[in-house]
Amino acid sequence: MKSNPSFRAGVLPRKDPSTGGERMTYTAKMDPKGPIPVSLFFTCLADAFSPGVCTATVEVLERFGATVRVPLSQTCCGQPAFNSGNRKEARAMARKFLLSFPDDGDIVTPSGSCAAMVKHGYPVLFRDEPRMLVRARAVGERIYELSQFLVDVLGVTDPKSDFSGKVTYHDSCHLRRGLGVVEAPRKLLRAVPGVEFVEMEESDRCCGFGGVFSLKYPQISCKMTERKVERILATGASYVTSGDLGCLLNIGGLISRIGYPVKAIHLAEILAGKTAGRGDAG
Amino acid sequence: MELNANAFGRSARKALLDKTLQEALGRTTGRFLDHRDAAVAAFPEFEATRERASRIKRDVLDHLDTYLARFVEEAEKRGTIVHVARDAAQAREIAARIARDEGVALAVKSKSMASEEISFNEALQEAGVTVVESDLGEFIIQLAGEAPSHIIAPAVHKTREQISRLFERHLGEPRTDNIPELVGMARRHLRAKFLSAGMGVSGGNFLVADTGSVVLVTNEGNGRMGAVLPRVHLAVVGIEKVIPRMADLATFLRLLPRSASGQTISSYVSIVTGTRRAGDPEGPERMHILLLDCGRSAILEGKYREILKCVRCAACLNVCPVYQSVGGHAYGWVYSGPIGAVLTPLLVGLPEAVALPDASTLCGACADVCPVKIPLPDFLLELRSDAREQGLKTPGEIAAMKGYAGVMKRAGLLEAIERIAGVLGQFFTKGKGIGGLPYPFSGWTERRDFPAPASLPFRKHWKIKRGPRG
Amino acid sequence: MVNERESLFRRLSAACGDHGTAAEEPLPGGPSAAPEGDRVARFAEMFTAAGGFLLRGPVETALSDLGEMLRAEGVTALFFPEDDAAAREIAEALVPFGPFLLTTGAEVRGESAAVTAGFRAAEAAIAETGTIVETSAGGKSLLPGLIADVHVSIVPAASVVDRMEEALAVFTADPPRNISFLSGPSKTADIEQTLTVGAHGPKKAIALLLPT
Repeated sequence: MKSNPSFRAGVLPRKDPSTGGERMTYTAKMDPKGPIPVSLFFTCLADAFSPGVCTATVEVLERFGATVRVPLSQTCCGQPAFNSGNRKEARAMARKFLLSFPDDGDIVTPSGSCAAMVKHGYPVLFRDEPRMLVRARAVGERIYELSQFLVDVLGVTDPKSDFSGKVTYHDSCHLRRGLGVVEAPRKLLRAVPGVEFVEMEESDRCCGFGGVFSLKYPQISCKMTERKVERILATGASYVTSGDLGCLLNIGGLISRIGYPVKAIHLAEILAGKTAGRGDAG
Repeated sequence: MELNANAFGRSARKALLDKTLQEALGRTTGRFLDHRDAAVAAFPEFEATRERASRIKRDVLDHLDTYLARFVEEAEKRGTIVHVARDAAQAREIAARIARDEGVALAVKSKSMASEEISFNEALQEAGVTVVESDLGEFIIQLAGEAPSHIIAPAVHKTREQISRLFERHLGEPRTDNIPELVGMARRHLRAKFLSAGMGVSGGNFLVADTGSVVLVTNEGNGRMGAVLPRVHLAVVGIEKVIPRMADLATFLRLLPRSASGQTISSYVSIVTGTRRAGDPEGPERMHILLLDCGRSAILEGKYREILKCVRCAACLNVCPVYQSVGGHAYGWVYSGPIGAVLTPLLVGLPEAVALPDASTLCGACADVCPVKIPLPDFLLELRSDAREQGLKTPGEIAAMKGYAGVMKRAGLLEAIERIAGVLGQFFTKGKGIGGLPYPFSGWTERRDFPAPASLPFRKHWKIKRGPRG
Repeated sequence: MVNERESLFRRLSAACGDHGTAAEEPLPGGPSAAPEGDRVARFAEMFTAAGGFLLRGPVETALSDLGEMLRAEGVTALFFPEDDAAAREIAEALVPFGPFLLTTGAEVRGESAAVTAGFRAAEAAIAETGTIVETSAGGKSLLPGLIADVHVSIVPAASVVDRMEEALAVFTADPPRNISFLSGPSKTADIEQTLTVGAHGPKKAIALLLPT
């Protein structure tokens, strides 16, 4: 583990430098001997279409000492509404999101784009509501994507996974450019003994998903996906992985329609490994 | 230029099927990008220079009244006649009047995106003036009767065969597939025009407030020819192109050529100030600058102000995977790519270009390369929100959004829907993916599979496994 | 027209809002200190990288190479500005190395069909970018770098500066009609993105670097 500060839960009132008023700061620091409280933000997409990603995420977090809480009142961070300009609906979902999570501990999600939404999108949504803005910013400071949390917060260097196969990695746009997470997934993948890791060309080029973009301009979207798939095939990898399920469903959808011998698999599932208990999630 | 931005979807689909265009786009943007990346890597101060340029431009925008006033004063001191046009109609009127008053029969023009905004060539032609484009790419598409498809490479979509055919038809030149020969034909033909033209017309990459100078950055050398040889020089420039001092020019010259095409500097930078001085052997006797507002002061007032920092390098076009897929014509107006997707709606009105802000996956590559740090993805998001506020979204989309938000209000409701969808999905697809979905999801399943919803959503699994309290 | 100008400035003042006064001093973070070493050598390297050709003085040794380069381009006529002593000296000395004819800018401008080389003394050279600086200050002609097929710049080593700012500073107080930065030959890649020289300006840019 990276550092050994003592554990303190709860709400600490502090002065907000810009308004001079009281500001709530949510902090959670870890007791080296104690449990690490983590709330799982499992995302609506994985919940409904790929629950194995969620169970894999829990598995990996528990493997490295986290006590995973799963607030079941969560639904959706509101990204599709925000990205398409429907801020009223996005705000409603954002409010519910902020209410769904406890005030202490970090929030971990297997989705780079959802983490980026909370971190960068919520302050925009609430820029005219000072109290919500403070709350949104505070939550934004303690939300992490899975690989980012493992490497930067827990200091994991070896995910202890028994996964094996030739794997290439797609940098999803919001994970890479939104959160600045580039090396963490690669460090983890390279540390898995059974993984033969190979970089693809243009790994950070958009796969063409873009949420509603893939529905509004499907032909352009497909052209971009085709180029991504070409780069994947050029590596000879059997698996393409990423920290965003949307990208993987997009890339995987094209691969499966054409029938290429490549499987799109989420990073969490590789990190959890072959023997992770995924079967019962369907 | 004629506006057709809302036909983006249709134009894009057409562009995707155009093999010649696809090849040209692949070749061009890839090369520009590779060169740009190499030039940036070889320039360790790139990030610091970018920050400085962004701050200079922000200072200019915060005090545009002061800097522009200074520019006008200094320019007039040195013999320049400064005109101001509020909108395109007024600009055309002024341009035609200048040509008439100066007795111009032939005008030779070098690249100016601003002049495209106001349909300058048509205005002069209506006034009986012949206008010849001299930028090789612009010259080619002028012969073809087309609009430019890229800010710095307007003929990117044309092959040498197509160009040679144009030269045969319009210039009487023999067919060839030798590119230097083609360039030589254009050179000869245009040289004659430069030497006989009554007026040279240019744009302006920068306006220097301290000295009243117009700066032209070119590789071909036509900008400077038009600014030296004819008796009259007219520069058509947007009001936002001002920079405070001559020294600041160096900062922008370190960024513009590198960002555009990976060059350390362009072949020519011409800084022209006023008319020819007594004793000068060459130079225009008359110098006019036509400053365009054309929507810029309105942008300056609002939340999109930073878009006016743009130096028209086209790096954002080159890096944009959407632009790379469809090219410039699909955007339906003067500006394309990410800058076009923001600037066009702001200049022509969002209702006339509402299709453009959606033409992006918000991947953020454009913001990474913009030399003056314009937050393009943020502006695209903002425009999409404006579209909803201005009632420009379809009732279908709004209903779908309301429905989706309604479901997400209660976790219990969401779970119930997931269970039902899961059961139905598994029943109909028997564990395989979904091959066809109804509108609006049909776009997806045309070429891609989609998984069936899981029979047991995670939240239900968690309840079962860990008890209802989670 | 004055009304339109007034109304523009009124709109701008309202739009700019209150951001204090305009920055009087240039913002911090200018160019870094010039690299160590020979700035003339750096100029030579950058000028060549931009597609230019460099010949080093003294004049006597360079003449025959220069003559050969011009013959290879098919040059038959040389011209220089009347009042440019350095350009005249070189051009006249070069005549036997062709042989070349001497002509004038005016004749070339009158659409002479000859392949020409235009000679001019540079006012400065910039090491950072491999740039030659020519201006119209003092009534100097720009035709040699504008309409000749080959442009020969005579560059005294002492006129080389490190940064663009230094070259610009000379002309800020009283700018001439035209300050030109010339970095290599005229180029275009507008046809199939294939780089070709000699679009409108000279096809070849030669710098004759003289020791003084």
